[in-house]
Amino acid sequence: MFGNKIDVSPVSTDMMTKQKRYEALVKALHADVFRYAVWLIKDRAIAEDVVQETFLRAWKSLDSLQDESAAKSWLITILRRENARRFERKQFDLVDIDDVSVSDPGASSDGHAENRQLRKAIASLSDEYREPIVMQVLMGFNGDEIAKQLNLNKNTVMTRLFRARSQIKEIMTGDQAVGVQKNG
Amino acid sequence: MDDITFRRTIYADPFTQDPEIIEAAKNDPKKQAFWEEVRAMETAIHSAMDIPVPDDLADKLILRQTMKTHQQNKRKSPWYIALAASLLLTSALTVGILTSSSGSLIGDVYAHIEHMDYESNKGAKVDLLSINNKLASYNGQLQDGMGEILSANYCYLNSIKSLHLIVKGENGLASLFVLPSQVAKDVDEQFANDKYTGKAFLLESAKIIIVGEDGQQVDDLAQRAKQLLNFSV
Repeated sequence: MFGNKIDVSPVSTDMMTKQKRYEALVKALHADVFRYAVWLIKDRAIAEDVVQETFLRAWKSLDSLQDESAAKSWLITILRRENARRFERKQFDLVDIDDVSVSDPGASSDGHAENRQLRKAIASLSDEYREPIVMQVLMGFNGDEIAKQLNLNKNTVMTRLFRARSQIKEIMTGDQAVGVQKNG
Repeated sequence: MDDITFRRTIYADPFTQDPEIIEAAKNDPKKQAFWEEVRAMETAIHSAMDIPVPDDLADKLILRQTMKTHQQNKRKSPWYIALAASLLLTSALTVGILTSSSGSLIGDVYAHIEHMDYESNKGAKVDLLSINNKLASYNGQLQDGMGEILSANYCYLNSIKSLHLIVKGENGLASLFVLPSQVAKDVDEQFANDKYTGKAFLLESAKIIIVGEDGQQVDDLAQRAKQLLNFSV
């Protein structure tokens, strides 16, 4: 369940060729980066394309990655930039993507009913709530790291995380049983 | 700590290490129960986010990078480098074609006669009948009078099958090669390196190459070959 959380070990960069570093990066992080992309984009096919672009760009600037432990947030930064570029390039696709693929991450037939329901709930969150919680849960980023990625202050991030979970809880229970005010 | 602050903090980070939160939960079973409930939901959320990844994605990413790098390396060469490379290739091919039938063939000749001593020391001289048997594949015939022939073996010169005769002369050994004329057209009439000297000429349908260390001996052998060898077209 919590698989694919292997961090790239800080292997001496001197000893590794660029190719080997790249392959290690791909193997260790492609799954989480892909999952992140699917939750960000809500379309598996487009997510895969963006992940391809992300890793190509990562290859080109691999020399700028000095600290392997920062690889995860480095890749997410590239991915978010690549995704933004996609919007610049293809503005016409926007409407289609949102209309057709809104529940795509939950469309997968695996998992039990609660899983599917939760996927729908997460997918239905607005971008500003969905992205921080995916960063926190899937990528293991803390509040400061999320704030840096999203260029927000930490308090805003913590508020969005709280609202994201509130909304998921609401969707799952169909009421406000936890007693959290929506505008809190 | 009031309920709202507690819940907001837990909801923002279900695995918070905030000492105030931990303390508040310790002293309040309701808060503790709430926290456990949120943690359970968090596990479910994590599980839900853990969507399947295409099996071949890692391979694809590595492959795509390899292809792209390869293409870029190819594209990096400016047009004039490509043109230069093309010209170089063309001239190399041209030179290769012009020299392949002479240069490398003669090179092979030199290589063969370097082994001449070994070949000629193997045994007694070769009789005329067995030489003529071998010459038959070139439609050739040798008359008696050539002198002592120590070896008659097929060999390949620049991929052309030839018959190599080692002839003993007054001043040492010389070699006579018989090749089909149509595939050995462009051999120079005279050639030499720092050790050997040689000449090549046509005898009807055959090309004859004579090589030795002594120029006079090569000339003599050439003379005799022209008299004693016949090739029917």
